[in-house]
Parts: sequence; C-alpha cells; structure tokens
Amino acid sequence: MTQVHYCEACSQGKGATDPAVFKLADVLSAQSASPSLLCPSCGFSDVDFRKRGRLGCPVCWEVFGDALGGLLAKVQHETVHHGRSPAGSAADPAVLRARIESLRRELDAAARAEDFMAAARLRDEIGRLESSLKPS
Amino acid sequence: MSVRDILSAENELTHMLGAQQAVVLSTRVRLARNLAGLPFPGWAKPAQREEVATRCLQALTALPRFRRGHVFRMQELSDLDRAVLVERHLVSKELAGAKTGAAVISRDQTCSVMVNEEDHLRIQVVKAGWHLRSAWQLAEQLDDGLAPRLGFAFSDRLGYLTACPTNVGTGLRASAMLHLPALCLSGHMDKVTRGLGQDGLAVRGWLGESTEAAGNVFQISNQQTLGHSEEDIMKHLSAWIKSVVEQEWNARRRLVADEGEKFADRLARSLGVLRHARLLTSAESMNMLSHLRLACDMGCLPEERRSVVDRLMIEGQPAHVQALTGAELDSDARDARRAAAVREALGEFPEVGPPTE
Repeated sequence: MTQVHYCEACSQGKGATDPAVFKLADVLSAQSASPSLLCPSCGFSDVDFRKRGRLGCPVCWEVFGDALGGLLAKVQHETVHHGRSPAGSAADPAVLRARIESLRRELDAAARAEDFMAAARLRDEIGRLESSLKPS
Repeated sequence: MSVRDILSAENELTHMLGAQQAVVLSTRVRLARNLAGLPFPGWAKPAQREEVATRCLQALTALPRFRRGHVFRMQELSDLDRAVLVERHLVSKELAGAKTGAAVISRDQTCSVMVNEEDHLRIQVVKAGWHLRSAWQLAEQLDDGLAPRLGFAFSDRLGYLTACPTNVGTGLRASAMLHLPALCLSGHMDKVTRGLGQDGLAVRGWLGESTEAAGNVFQISNQQTLGHSEEDIMKHLSAWIKSVVEQEWNARRRLVADEGEKFADRLARSLGVLRHARLLTSAESMNMLSHLRLACDMGCLPEERRSVVDRLMIEGQPAHVQALTGAELDSDARDARRAAAVREALGEFPEVGPPTE
C-alpha cells in the first residue's frame, strides 16, 4: 500500500487525478474567470497562478487575497493566521493594536455571517492579545 | 568541507545509539520563510535569486549554530554529491535541481537550511527518535536569529507568506519518520493512513513528498499550516504519533501471538538472505533490513544491533553506495557493492531467536 501526496505542479507530471486535493488553481480560476489580476510589484497574474499553483511574491498575497480566500478555506480549512510572528514585531504594541483591530473587524464579519465557531476563536485570540498588551 | 565529510562525520541518525527508538526513527520540524520585498524563487529573476542567496548565506553563517558547519552551493556540487544530500534528507530533490539553490548544514547535521527552494528559506531540524519539543526549540532559535537580520514577509492576517498556499500561516511542517512493519504485515496500514488523512495529517514515504514507502518506513506530518498555532499543530501531531506507535506495538504483539514460530522464521530468513546474497537491490535490502530492525525491537536480536541496521538502511541508498565506494557505479555494480557491505556488517550478527517482547 502506498499513498503519496503531490502538489499541483507535480500532480500534473505524475498524472494524479485526485480532484479534491490537487485542483487548487481551478478554485481560483472559477472565482476570476478572466485574467484580470496583476501584481504591481512583480507582474504576476492570475493566469500565472493557474499555470503554477504558486504565487509570485509576498505582495501577490494582497493582490490575490480575496480570490484566494475560497482556495484557503478549501486547502487549509482556515483563513486567518494564529501563531508566531517574526521576532521583535510581537513585542511592538503598535503592531499588536493593529492586529487586534483587524481581528475585531473579522469578529464582526463572523458574527454577521453567524459563524459562531470562528467568532469564538477570534474572541479568544483578541483576549489573548489584549492581555499581552497590558504590562505584567 | 565537502559532501564526503558529511558521510564520515558522526551525526544523530547514524551514530546516536542512545537516541534511537523502536518505531520512531526521527523527528523533523520545518519552517518556510521568505524575505519581504523580493519575488519567491520560482518567479524571481536570476539576479534576484542571487541577491536572496547572498543575503541568506550571510545571515545564516553568522548564527552560532552554523559555526564550523557546511555551506553548499548546488551548482558547485557533482550530481552524486547532490544525490547524497537528498538521501540524507539534508536537502530536497527540488533544491538539488535548482541552479541558485544553496544549503547550510550544522556540523552535527541536526540543523539544515535550504536557500532558494520553493521559498527563500526552508529551516529544518532533525532529531533521532521522538523529540518534537527539542526539535521545535532549535527551529524557533534559528527563526528568531534570522528574522531581525533578514526581515521576513509576514501579514497579520495570513502569517508568514509563502509561495504555495499550502504552507502559508505558520509555515510549519512537523513530522515523524516511523517504522511500521507490523501494521504493514497485518494489512492495517491502509486503515491507519485513512484515519490520519481524515484528521489533517499526511502520510508519505521514506524520502518525503512523492516517494514510496520502502522498508515499511512512513513519514507522518501536518497538512494544514494556517489557522492553528504552532503549539496546537504539534499537540495534534503528538497525539496521533503516540496512537500510531501504540497501534504498531499492538499489531506486533498480535503477530507474535498468532504466528508462533512463523514470526521469528520470517525475520531469520531475511537475515539469512542478507548474509549470503551477492546482489541486493535497494528496495529488497530496505525491506529485509526492516525485518532485522523489527527483530532488534522484539528481542529476537540484541537491541544494540539496531544502530547497525539503521546505518545500513541509510548507506544502502544508491548515491550513498557510490559515494562510499568512491566511484560512479551502474545498477548491477551497486547491487553487488551493497550486498558486500551488508554481508560484511552482518557477519558478526548472532542467530535470530524467539521474541522476548
């Protein structure tokens, strides 16, 4: 018995056909039918993403962010980071406050969408960040 | 420092007898990181990849962990040397084929960092046996040492930004390499793989992504990298590894109880073949060495012989056989050379006895 896992690019070479896992780019292309998105920083387009299944540069994540939301929900089952941040930045109160603010917006959106599990998680995360803002 | 030094140097996986364990061969932690403001390697222009390599190598060699370590630029290595590094799991096949790819490897081979693979940096820590906590602490140290020097691409919302959406967020892939002969022999491995898959864990073969499981060795790792903290990802993996190890031991005990003499007979036959064969393919030797490892775990052979078996598993891979011989060999010559090395190493082995575990 052998189970192997391929990324989008390799799966094409190997003839893998598992649609649930490997059609990453299709999810994106379904959301943007025409090749209309272009990264101003590196010139990468949504057509390139469909071909490669990889992004061009860090700025692409902002450019393709909305389109990638559905893809992330599908391959990662989550859309918001919970975890470490680069050394130095986590201790910066300004960065923390900005993050809390953005999580609050997500919390509002989750509450409006009646996604209570996501809302509960966001509330916990906000609480955790707020407590780390207070001097210990 | 050359790749040949890697082969002869003492290291965790081939020399640390104390750290060896039945079932779990090794623990691995990998972090994907990218420099802000530069395209990912797959989309970058050659000059940009070169800039990344220069900046990363400068930052890496300044870290105490890599003092007196190895620095390899892939294009400066022979095909054989690159293949040895891949077989050692120190670099990936993808990096070995990348023109501007480079790797920095600590002297004890526990920490290695790939530069210009799919992401600018792939930080990797490998420990013999099951040591997720200490592997993570080392990876965290390296990450913290590099972040202020390099300025990583990071978004509050998406975490560490990576070339592929399957790595974004924590960029963390934590994994264990497991030897699961009894689950394979008893036909339960399919079920275990399905269970792991349904709970967000991937099962791969000996050399990671897109390789088959030789010698009943499997790599189990987290699939999701976004939305869960590093701590939660590792807790989830730990719980499953504990469970799979238990299932493997249960399967072993059941095999011993159900098979009687047949159990030791199978292992003894493998020792017989390995001791006398004149030609051994890589797959055949892996599968029979897997039996010998099982024999050491179950008391059919003295436990201290396990390190010999582990070394033969690593050194029996095609590029290793050639590098240790010091010449490029065709497939038949490799099989003869592999068989000779195995015969020599197993000459002193005692007979396989009944299981005591």
